[in-house]
This record gives sequence, C-alpha cells and structure tokens, in this order.
Amino acid sequence: MKRKLFVLTFAGVSFLGVRAYAHHSFASTYLEDQKVTVEADVVQFLYRNPHSFLQLESKDDKGKTITWAVEWGAGGQLGSQGVQKDTLRIGDHVVVQGQPGRDPEAHRLRMINIKRPSDGWTWKGNFD
Amino acid sequence: MTRNKIILSFAAVLCASFPALAEIDLSGSWAAINHEDALERGGGPYPDDWAGLPFNEAGRAKALSFSQSTISMPERICWFQTQWHIAAGPFSLRMWAVPDPITGRVQAWMIGAWETRAPMTIWMDGRPHPGKNAPHDQTGFTTGVWNGNELIATTTHLKTGYIRRNGAASSDQATITTHFLRHGDMLTVALFMDDPVYLTEPYILTRSYNLSTNPVAIGGPPCIVGDEGVEPGRVPHYLPGKNPYTDEMTKRYGIPEEAEMGGAQTMYPEYRDKIKDKFKLPAKCTLNCGNNAGGN
Repeated sequence: MKRKLFVLTFAGVSFLGVRAYAHHSFASTYLEDQKVTVEADVVQFLYRNPHSFLQLESKDDKGKTITWAVEWGAGGQLGSQGVQKDTLRIGDHVVVQGQPGRDPEAHRLRMINIKRPSDGWTWKGNFD
Repeated sequence: MTRNKIILSFAAVLCASFPALAEIDLSGSWAAINHEDALERGGGPYPDDWAGLPFNEAGRAKALSFSQSTISMPERICWFQTQWHIAAGPFSLRMWAVPDPITGRVQAWMIGAWETRAPMTIWMDGRPHPGKNAPHDQTGFTTGVWNGNELIATTTHLKTGYIRRNGAASSDQATITTHFLRHGDMLTVALFMDDPVYLTEPYILTRSYNLSTNPVAIGGPPCIVGDEGVEPGRVPHYLPGKNPYTDEMTKRYGIPEEAEMGGAQTMYPEYRDKIKDKFKLPAKCTLNCGNNAGGN
C-alpha cells in the first residue's frame, strides 16, 4: 500500500511537472545534515512563491538583535498543509528548528518545524 | 486563361498552407520526465559538484567565487535564468506555433515561460540575429530551422547565467543550440552550450517529455522580492582560495576532488578508469541518496 502510494505520488509529480522550485540550490545553501533551534518573534511572514520566508528577531548573548530569514514551502504547498497567510502574525513568539545556512552572515534557516508555545500550534514537514 | 490562373492560384494557396513535408507539429503540453539529474534539477546540487562540466580555468574560478547567498540579494531574487534553464530546471514545456497572418506559414515557435525563465520565441521566418553590439538579456534571441523532422534552434545575445545552480556560469558570449526531436507522444530536447569564455568544449544535456492532455501552465506565479537574509549593499562571494566548501563531495561520497572540480575530461566515461583508485565508496549514504527529486 505504502509502495503504491509512493508510486502514485511520484507519477503525479512527474506527470504534472508543476511544483515549487527554489531559485537556489538547497544543498548549496544549507548544511542539510545539521539542525539549529531558534526562539524568536515573528516580524514578517512573506507567504509567496516560489518559497515563503518567515522573518524572525531574537537577541544574541550581548543583547544585539539578530534577524533570521527562515525559508519555508511555497504558498500553495503550505496552504494544502493548513498554513495560511494569516496563520502567523507579527509579534508571535515561536520556536523554529531548521537547517542552518552555509553563509553565517545571512542568519538563514531552512524550516524543519515550528511551534508557537502560546497556543501549541505546530507545523513540521518537508518541502522542495 | 482565367481558368488557368485560378488553378495556379489554388495550387499556390495549397502549397502555402502546408508545411514542408519534413516539418512536424510540436505544439502541445509536454510533461517533463524528471528521471535524469534529479538532485541538480530538484533540490539543487552541492556547492562543489562541478563534475561533468567542461570548465576552463576561468569557469572554475568564477564558480569557486560563487556564494549561494548572491542570488538572495534583493535585486537578484527575481532574476530570470537564461534559456539554459530548460535543461537545468525541472519544468514541463508548453509549445505552440505562431502563424503569419497573411500566408499562414509558421512565423515562430513559442515555448511558454516558467516562473524563473522568460518565454522562448524561435523565429522561423529567416530573419537574421541582431548585430554583435545589440543588447543581451536572459531571454536571448533565437532562430530555428528544420533538419528533416528535427527543429534546431540557435540562441544568442544572452546575458551571463548559470549552467548549474551552484555557480557554474555561462557568459554573454555563449550560444545555445537546442534540438527538438519528436517521437510520437515523446519529445527529446538536446541542448548544447558553447561558451568560448568559460568552457573548453560544448556542454550537452538531453531532456525528455511526454505529451500531456493536462495543460502546462505558462508563466507560473509571480516572483516577489523579500528578505532572504542578505542585507542591501552586501555582495556575498568567496575570494580566490577562500571557498570553504571544496571538499564536500569528497567527504560525503568519496569522490576525488579533481573530479568534482570539473573539466572536459570528467564528462567522459573513460574518466572513471583514471580515478578508480582514488574513489572510495562510502560505507553508507546518509544524505541525498537518489530517492526523490526533492533532495533529502
């Protein structure tokens, strides 16, 4: 059954040939075998194609503000998983786990999962 | 006399209405069969995976200077890729013919745009390419001719672009020759990249498509510029000798560094024999092991 589902899914993706597509390479942009966790506040949620971006702000050890850019799925992809453009609002306090970017100056993550402790809302998954 | 004129006119109209016998119809929605180069066309290649690219030293140096954050600069986020993206991207093709309104002959073949690539207009009316000083852009200028059942399109006047999404570049002097070969409901597209600036030999990729009754979207959703983590004014790059990711394919997959650095010899099967003693098969593949186009 699982195999059938995989085959059908693969056939669907191949046949339609329509999906989100990052303009950059994930393997070149992120350290895919590493994970970091960031606790921060939402300052912007750009719900868009080809990929959505969540901007977060946190403080480092010295109190300096760090802005994080968290790459997420395409608008359509997230919509089918229950994430809408107003699911996250400015000021929401969230805990994000993601793959760190290779460029340390960019403070960038590829989303693995996100949790909003205030109401327990969570999302986790994969996107391409 | 009048009757003869009518017959001749009718014959002329008939001849003008039908293409030469060798031409075939390429119109329709062609669904990509993404069974080749899955990581390169899907999630994207590793930063040092330049194996199989016929680089010269300039091409290699340019690729080594590339930081992936470059294309997260606000002014570059929504850049179109060049027409080479037909080969490097995963998308399907929508093709249609544009008839001349007077003669009915095919004036141009069109390939619809993607969200990351401009449409390709293949002019079939014999017009020349613009002069060498004419402006270049990511779309380029394309003309086509029939060679039997094969449509051959030649694209010039491109801006610099990427031939692999990890910094491997083509220059504004590059020429792309695209061969369209239809076999019933299958389409093979073979693309040749000739670039005197960054390549020593043509770089060749083929792509396959199935004719589909499901319409392939043209254009895709609009790109919206947003903050991807690179503040305005910063130009991400690596200075010569400072790229920290030149041994990742070696560490992860046991591929010798000389192979991942590309060069024409790495395109050919016999190169395997040359490096067979340097290749060490990893005990286990832990990441991007070929299970789907998305990468992980």
